[in-house]
Amino acid sequence: MTDTLVESSAESAFLDLHKKLLEQGRSALAELQVTALSRFEELGFPHSKHEMYTFVNTKGLVATSFSLPDGSASVSEDFVASHIYPDCKDQCLVFIDGVFDRGLSRCEGVNSNLMPLSEADEEVKAYLSETAENENDVFASLSTAFCDEGLVFKVEANTQISGTVQILFVSTGNTAGSVMHTPRIVWQLGKLSEIKVIEKFVGTEGGYFINSVQDWLLAEGAGVSYTQVQMDSIGSWHFSKVRVYLNRNARFHSSNASSGNQLARHHYEVRLKEEGSEIRLNGVSVLDDKEQVHNFVRIHHEAPQCISHQHFKNIVNGHARSSFDGTVIVCQGAQLTSADQLVNNLMLSNDCHANNKPNLMIFADDVKCTHGVTVGQIDEGQWFYLQTRGLSAKAAKELLTRSFAKSIIETIEFPEVVEELNDTLLKKLEARND
Amino acid sequence: MSTEQNSVSDILEDNTYKYGFTTDVESETFAKGLNEDVVRAISKKKEEPQFMLDFRLKAFAKWKTMKEPEWPNVHYPTIDFQNISYYSAPKQKKVLASLDEVDPEVMRTFEKLGIPLDEQKKLANVAVDAVFDSVSVATTHKKKLMEVGIIFCPMSEALKEYPELVEQYLGTVVPVGDNFYAALNSAVFTDGSFVYIPPDTISPMEISTYFRINTEETGQFERTLIICAENSYVSYLEGCTAPQFDTNQLHAAVVELVTMENAEIKYSTVQNWYAGDKETGKGGVFNFVTKRGKCQGDNSKISWTQVETGSAITWKYPSCILQGDNTVGEFYSVALTNGHMQADTGTKMIHLGKNTRSSIISKGISADYSSNSYRGQVKVGKNATNARNYSQCDSMLVGDKSSAHTFPYIETANSSVQIEHEASTSKISEEQLFYFESRGISRENAIEAVISGFCKEVFKQLPMEFAVEAQKLLTLKLEDSVG
Repeated sequence: MTDTLVESSAESAFLDLHKKLLEQGRSALAELQVTALSRFEELGFPHSKHEMYTFVNTKGLVATSFSLPDGSASVSEDFVASHIYPDCKDQCLVFIDGVFDRGLSRCEGVNSNLMPLSEADEEVKAYLSETAENENDVFASLSTAFCDEGLVFKVEANTQISGTVQILFVSTGNTAGSVMHTPRIVWQLGKLSEIKVIEKFVGTEGGYFINSVQDWLLAEGAGVSYTQVQMDSIGSWHFSKVRVYLNRNARFHSSNASSGNQLARHHYEVRLKEEGSEIRLNGVSVLDDKEQVHNFVRIHHEAPQCISHQHFKNIVNGHARSSFDGTVIVCQGAQLTSADQLVNNLMLSNDCHANNKPNLMIFADDVKCTHGVTVGQIDEGQWFYLQTRGLSAKAAKELLTRSFAKSIIETIEFPEVVEELNDTLLKKLEARND
Repeated sequence: MSTEQNSVSDILEDNTYKYGFTTDVESETFAKGLNEDVVRAISKKKEEPQFMLDFRLKAFAKWKTMKEPEWPNVHYPTIDFQNISYYSAPKQKKVLASLDEVDPEVMRTFEKLGIPLDEQKKLANVAVDAVFDSVSVATTHKKKLMEVGIIFCPMSEALKEYPELVEQYLGTVVPVGDNFYAALNSAVFTDGSFVYIPPDTISPMEISTYFRINTEETGQFERTLIICAENSYVSYLEGCTAPQFDTNQLHAAVVELVTMENAEIKYSTVQNWYAGDKETGKGGVFNFVTKRGKCQGDNSKISWTQVETGSAITWKYPSCILQGDNTVGEFYSVALTNGHMQADTGTKMIHLGKNTRSSIISKGISADYSSNSYRGQVKVGKNATNARNYSQCDSMLVGDKSSAHTFPYIETANSSVQIEHEASTSKISEEQLFYFESRGISRENAIEAVISGFCKEVFKQLPMEFAVEAQKLLTLKLEDSVG
């Protein structure tokens, strides 16, 4: 990779900030921070033609000067309660400004599963330092470099976590200056274990940059259902990296619903390491005004007979931008792979942008791989048909737009999330439809 | 389709690169190396007008500031641009009055290649411009074309006879600093074909250029410029071969097409440069080509068809700039890689005008240790209302050491567009072949049938004789890779 720096001052601003962090005292993850920081220096911020950031303009973000969170943030219990899904009211882990807040969390049921990252077992520690050394995404390096403490959620072998676990990330903006939050969770799933997780990102006001990294390590036969709801404040930045390692017959089903903000980027890095593992990534975003959502996916099929599905849908309106950059890499020997990838974009205005780059890299011959992209607008014929049936032009358009997004939203297995998305995410469309 | 039964041994024998011979003609070659003096010398040698020298020097100055592109999915040792000779021509004493005066050795070369240069024979109704290393040696049917007003001549001749036309269009589609190899080409190109179709003219025959690299360690840098004026049509064919050398030769061509209102250019290529040794990957041509067409006038159309079966490395993206309203861009491609070949090829469709349409059909076949990438861009500008694109890129893998990649870039900034892209990957399986054989169809014919079915959409775009040749070429190249 050839990374030239946008402007060296952008990196040095973060390096200076990191010095301040060190002055505050030694963190339990100091060693990891140093590794990540040097990797950050090696990578540098992406230039405009960087292959991983083809469609994402990070200039505004990296030119912003950030300060360290001072820990003075206070979030009311009511605010937290209003964002907890009814099914998860006994199992909700709350992160305030990227830091796990035991006081606000309701973790009685899962207390024994939690462990601070600094006290993780050797296996996890070795994994962490290895990934920090080989990190390919500069923002993930930045996150690790500034992460003082994270959380390990461990599910023992043959255990099923009953009910659904919610993770609520609350970010408080700072009117004095922008703050970067760096939550980190490592999920360790034992053999044949299962868990269902809903994650929600909310903010009290703009002016923050949430830069999260999560690692999912699935042992043989483990199963995960994972839903992310991104509803940050408008004037914020949201970067997330999700790394998934799947061993034999493990499966990981993920859905992501994004309402966008001034720059949101989801990075998925998936390794299907052993035979029979399966990944499903779905995503939907509904964007208006100047909101942006960018999805970046890398799926490595490293073993034979693995399955991957991806389906992303974006609705863009106003001056919004969405992008999808996904690659399926079928390694040598990964025969009988089945991989599909589909991206649908619905463009509702003349000033919006929808960019797509669905890539396939195939090094094995006996595989079934497909990808497809569509970009279009409301089908005139369908619109007309609904109007002949007595629907008003507005109602017909709304129905068609809603049903476009619904096919993804309804794959989410938590009814309360589906309901919430119907109420909030799709409401955005109505406001505009005139 | 030919149904003649070749025995397996025949086919295997044929399977070697039959154009790998060299021709022993006395040639005049510049010393290796590249600097401003070389650029000036080329220009002087060709007795070019001043604007051409300025164009070259500007390109050379630009080239010096540029870096070789690293983004293509191909790997090769660094090219030493000082170790290449930038001019090589069969020695000629005087201007030729007719084909009879062309060096008989050169004529025999083209005969061996199956290119009918001899007008007496009038074998095919195709006008040919034959380019040998750096210069054009023969152009046929010129007179007949001139009768309807079509100019078809080597670029060097066009610079002397029609400098104002060349000056008006050269570099308008591919600017001198477009990319590293285009800049290099602009600085040192030696010859190529020039075609001008006047308004309201349908070319009475296919026009073609045949390229041949003969000298070791030379680069071939040709420049083709085709201008199709209002309401005109031309179909243009291009073929390429090179001898077998252990060293790599560089071929960095630039092709520019311009269509005015209601005009259409159909550009077909069968590229069969020497691909290097099949076992070791040694030698072969580096084919780094910039091809671009501009649909300048409304309702015009540019169609690219390519069959890529040779070259050690191919880096080539025939593109269309759909500038006029209602313009159409098409790209049909079959890229076959075997041995240690690497290909990174595809197209760019830039939609700027209203109601512009483009379609992309790309078929990649990779066998042995080769790597085959499709890289395509569909870009819709803000004013391209009702733009429409359909892309399909399919790959076929033969053997488990080969690889196939697709990198489509789809960028839209207009909501009234409709874009579809789809791709699939499959292989020629033992089962399919077994099924054919169980029905009494020989293995060779079975392979031919599968390949032919896979590539049909592209082959049907090719002119008849090219289609037959292309199909044979693919079957022969794949023969010992399957099964």
